[in-house]
Amino acid sequence: MGLKLPGGGTSARSGGIFGAGSPTFLTSKIDYIVNWSRRSSLWPMPFGTACCAIEMMASAASNFDLSRFGMERMAFTPRQADVLICAGRVPYKLAPVLRRIWDQMPQPKWCVSMGACASSGGVFDVYSMVQGIDTVVPVDVYIPGCPPRPEALIYGLMMIQEKIREESLTQHAALRAEDPLLVARPNATDEEMTGLTGPFGNSTRQEKISAGVRVLPDRGSDDDLLP
Amino acid sequence: MTDETKSGLDAVDEGPVPSDAAGPTQVGVVPDPHSHPTVAALLERFGDAVYGHRIAAGDEHVVFADPARNLEILGFLRDDPDQRYDLLRDVTAVDYGGGRPLQVVYVLWSIPNRRSLRVKCELPLDALAIDSVVPLWQAANWLEREVYDLFGITFRGHPDLRRIMMPFDYAEGHPLRKDFPLRGRFSRAEQTRRALSQDVGRFYTEHDIEIGREPQELPRAGEETPGSET
Repeated sequence: MGLKLPGGGTSARSGGIFGAGSPTFLTSKIDYIVNWSRRSSLWPMPFGTACCAIEMMASAASNFDLSRFGMERMAFTPRQADVLICAGRVPYKLAPVLRRIWDQMPQPKWCVSMGACASSGGVFDVYSMVQGIDTVVPVDVYIPGCPPRPEALIYGLMMIQEKIREESLTQHAALRAEDPLLVARPNATDEEMTGLTGPFGNSTRQEKISAGVRVLPDRGSDDDLLP
Repeated sequence: MTDETKSGLDAVDEGPVPSDAAGPTQVGVVPDPHSHPTVAALLERFGDAVYGHRIAAGDEHVVFADPARNLEILGFLRDDPDQRYDLLRDVTAVDYGGGRPLQVVYVLWSIPNRRSLRVKCELPLDALAIDSVVPLWQAANWLEREVYDLFGITFRGHPDLRRIMMPFDYAEGHPLRKDFPLRGRFSRAEQTRRALSQDVGRFYTEHDIEIGREPQELPRAGEETPGSET
């Protein structure tokens, strides 16, 4: 039997769960219990601004049924939510709203950037659009797609679950620290945001494509890319 | 590897280039004024204030009018029993660039006569002001705010002329003007900092919030309202 009672297990009274003489309680890692309960009841806070929100709604509806994975209920209040799903493009006028919702969510909390526009500004490399919500709030998972399929959103949320599985309570103070001075401040440095203003402008920093010829730095043979 | 061929991406790097200053702003076919009954009436009544008449996009009749007399002309179009343009479909503006005047466009529709007409008023860049048509059509309220926000045209007599699309403290100018850079005037870092320093609570006035509350006060179906017993 893999279960051991601290102190040898002989002090347990008879009538335990595994028969006479076995312990009457189980031991486990508190990390496992906490992480299991956290990842099994991730309540999403939907922040849908554009077409990605349609796919997000489809994910929650019966055909894909997000609640199978523990996203039991869309929390339409940030104070009772665990994971912020930003689905769609975010203009600068909406950036303080997004930031305030993130600041209002209690720890522990995670953020999913759903779709190309939320992750990088997408095709909207213009005066009014935030070039990736990671300049505003910290992002845990980026989901590519325009818009992503519901399967992609579910996969992204399951990646959050995997991330929670790896966490430990001993890291909690470091992982979940929040500085009140950083509330409503940008989540990226000036250098990082200036770097977004490349030829394509978005945070993927694509190489410049000019007149149909892709200009890449000389990188030798393809074998260098292999591990 | 380099290439000399310019592409659209180089244009993005270089920013906006002024359009050719030459060229007409009154584009379209010059038709017979009697092809549209309203145009004939306008020419007869405001002969010197009507600058031109064109047909654009197939069958859209466009009348160019004196911006100083826009209220008078549009009031005639709304109230005259033969015209009755009682629906203001749109108020917008066009910037052709190159220092050419901005055009304010009124898109009218006459419900009784089933007739459409566009009235354009050209404003020189150093005098971007025109009378508001909110006294004629309430629909112009937000439409003129949008034109003010995005083009910087002032509407005299507008009851509530403030930005509607861009943040209220937006300091980079008017984005739909041809001389406005595609990515704005500030760096991305400065834009993000300014955006996050906005006070979200001041986005709406008390009046705006009251408008949002009104539908909850409407009586539900089958429910008796106070005073309805008589």
